[in-house]
Amino acid sequence: MAPPTNKAVAAPRWSHTPTTPLLLWLGVSLPLVAWDTGYMLMRPHTMPGGSLHWPLWVPYALYGEVDHLYGFKQWHLKNSFAAAQSLMNLVESLMYLGYLALWYSYGKPAAPGGRKAVGGRVGAIAALLGFSAAVMTVSKTVLYYSSTIARPSDANSPTSTEPDEDDRTFDPRAPRSNFSLYPLEYLLYCEDCHQIRCPRCVTEEIVTYYCPNCLFEVPSSNLKSEGNRCFQCPICIGPLAVTSVETKPDPGLLAAPDSASPHSGPYALTCSYCNWSSTEVGIKFEKPNSIHAQLAKLRNGGETRLTAKEQKERRKDPSYRPQAAAQGELGEAEALDLETQFANLKLLYQKQLADPNAADNGLAALGDLGFSSPTSLSRIMSIYTGGSLQDKKPKSRVGAMREALEANEGLQLADLDESAAIAQLQDEGLDGTASTSQLADQPPNIGEVHLHGSDRFISELRPIPYLLRTKRSKRCPVCRHIISKPEAKVQTTRFRIRLVAGSYIPSIAIRPLSLSSGSSASGAAVPGALLEPLKPTHFLLTFKNPIFETIKVTLGAPAKTPGRFASKVTVLCPDFEIDANTDVWDEALKEGGERDRERERRRRKGEEGSGGGSNNNHNQLEVGKIWERGRNWVSIVVEVVPASLTVEHGEGPLREDEDVLEIPMFVRVEWEAETGGEDVGTAPSKDKEAREKRELAYWCVLGLGRIRQ
Amino acid sequence: MSSKRHSILPPVSSGPKPPVHFSSSITIADSAVLTGTHPIAIHSESVVHPRARLDSLAGRLTVGRRCVVHERATLGAIGTSGRITEAAVTLGDYVVVEVGAAIEAGETVIGEGTVVGVGARVGAGAVIGKHCTLTPHTEIAAGEVVPDFTVVFSNGMRRTDKRGVAELKNKGLARQIDVLRRMIPSNPAKFA
Repeated sequence: MAPPTNKAVAAPRWSHTPTTPLLLWLGVSLPLVAWDTGYMLMRPHTMPGGSLHWPLWVPYALYGEVDHLYGFKQWHLKNSFAAAQSLMNLVESLMYLGYLALWYSYGKPAAPGGRKAVGGRVGAIAALLGFSAAVMTVSKTVLYYSSTIARPSDANSPTSTEPDEDDRTFDPRAPRSNFSLYPLEYLLYCEDCHQIRCPRCVTEEIVTYYCPNCLFEVPSSNLKSEGNRCFQCPICIGPLAVTSVETKPDPGLLAAPDSASPHSGPYALTCSYCNWSSTEVGIKFEKPNSIHAQLAKLRNGGETRLTAKEQKERRKDPSYRPQAAAQGELGEAEALDLETQFANLKLLYQKQLADPNAADNGLAALGDLGFSSPTSLSRIMSIYTGGSLQDKKPKSRVGAMREALEANEGLQLADLDESAAIAQLQDEGLDGTASTSQLADQPPNIGEVHLHGSDRFISELRPIPYLLRTKRSKRCPVCRHIISKPEAKVQTTRFRIRLVAGSYIPSIAIRPLSLSSGSSASGAAVPGALLEPLKPTHFLLTFKNPIFETIKVTLGAPAKTPGRFASKVTVLCPDFEIDANTDVWDEALKEGGERDRERERRRRKGEEGSGGGSNNNHNQLEVGKIWERGRNWVSIVVEVVPASLTVEHGEGPLREDEDVLEIPMFVRVEWEAETGGEDVGTAPSKDKEAREKRELAYWCVLGLGRIRQ
Repeated sequence: MSSKRHSILPPVSSGPKPPVHFSSSITIADSAVLTGTHPIAIHSESVVHPRARLDSLAGRLTVGRRCVVHERATLGAIGTSGRITEAAVTLGDYVVVEVGAAIEAGETVIGEGTVVGVGARVGAGAVIGKHCTLTPHTEIAAGEVVPDFTVVFSNGMRRTDKRGVAELKNKGLARQIDVLRRMIPSNPAKFA
């Protein structure tokens, strides 16, 4: 069959004409969509308060209240869905416009006076464009509504669960809560950010290093060079003392033996508790000071070893060579410790890397692929270091890297003969082996001969240098201000700066409240008693204001506690003011009459009987009234109906601490403070005396007790 | 009326006065408590601190040469067994029984140069070897045999003392006794 040729098919000419409803729809929708898209894409300027809001986008202020996708709510949540769909709107509208333009410019009236029609190739393109745009419109609209439906109605009901964590009721039982709940005493407060800072959200800096044994403050520059001064017993972790090993001359022969005889001779570290001595592992020191440096050079058994630096120097020394040759290779082969082996190996590899022409073996054929070739090694290194190591090197073919062949190149033969260890184990038994904690406490000993077959006997444990302790200052991670700084001296436990949250946010004390007549409720009057399930119980929460301003407290608690067993919680007075924490003496010295009156006023109103000490009349709880008020404290009542802990069939058993009744409570504190002049972040204040409003809001959890099972 | 505090210990005169065999060079404080019916022997240059308690009710007590029995230490306490034996407690030479330690009666032997730490307890019939160290609050079960040069520490862990300082320790103890002699007024005549 011949392929279809491209003859002009003229006879039944196909053409396309938009229908009237389509044109009407486009006429209405295109300007609307342009308006909408303009609003969405130019947020926040088009939002209420923005520069472009008036006059074009004024109606959106109202619409944004209804459809949160358009309002501030989702804008603050940084929801990008609406903006994304507006972008698609834009594409879609452009396609519609293209369709209309094609039709308008290429179309010819099919019949005189009739509507224009486009035909042929252009007509096909126009139709395809229009159809595609229509499909996009449909799919986008469906997506928009389905996403709106799928999202739970937001923010209209207080119990709504928002995908964002900030809007959700804090769940004290959630596993992550363990990491965000701290007792008030553990919390710090940043005065500049006006935020609570927990131990997890501060940055720490080390002020001093010190030895916990001798309280010597180690300068940070000497940390590595000098090492620790004090050592712990490897057996019992007791402190070790430096004592002279040498037997002193007979004290009977000297008049004043202790003061007169200068300590001399070898020294050892001894434990006064378990009588361990470093002579047991054959370590004796020449000097009683700088033990750390001496210990680094000593092997178990008392052999000295050369540090890598000394060995290098010795190698350079020409007088040493014939000596070494005379000794033979044997001497060096057995004396490879970790540090020397590493140094030798490093030297070998570096030599080969530096010398690209060292292709000396038959493995060169594998060179390009070989993982052991210097080029691939350097390539890998450049991947990790991110440097341009590879680029600088000429891409010459280099043979595979040679491995160490001799001891002075770092070859260490594995010592597979364990008969000595077995014999020792048989001799000493299990008591002779070191425990895991003893081994874990052992410092890394780079002077160890080799790792393989290293025995784990008590008789090989070395003294443990004391782990140095630090004092740390804490900074706010946001503004970098110091919020806690200890005194640099080791002996003092004081702090120079310590901004504890307890002196900025109100403390909450919980006390069970018993109503004597008990008509409506009776509760756990005894602190610590178990809570009766399904029985309304009242608790008195006393908020104490630590700051010198009157604060306004707003509480929010979920009506039901989260978790499997939901207890009902009612905060009777969620909104109240606490007077400033004024000077106690000021308060006391106020003239008596006024004070009495004031006190009278402060007492709970609407109660019968005297407002003073007798609490017996408080058998009537009022919603919206505080219970009692003092100089800088306010008590309110919380009614709790503990859940019954009956586990239904099919549910798991009662988990640990599931009977604990904990109320998550959102506390919002508002107060007016003098505008801090030292605030760097705020704009220059226009008015010096201006008082700015501050607020602090946080979740806290109140533990009320256990529910009876 | 009386601002003086009274000791909760029974008066010294309570109980029978045991027969004693003291060396002439010992130091024994006036307020040490020696009770029991069996003989108590203290050899030369030993020191008994005030309020140390030597009880020979369950058998003979022997304290070797140059021993130190500290305050409130008890030798010959009648333990759970409560049986009466020939030799209740035998301390070798150079034994130190520190403050509050208790050595139960019943053929208990403490070897030469051993230190019984503060508050330690040695059960009846235990035999402690020479030059051992019982660290504070160690408990040795009744009838146990502890080999020479053993260090008992941290809740019953044992190790062998390899310092080889037994001689030095003995010398040190001799000097300590020299000092104690001057510090503690001795009154052996009271117990005779």
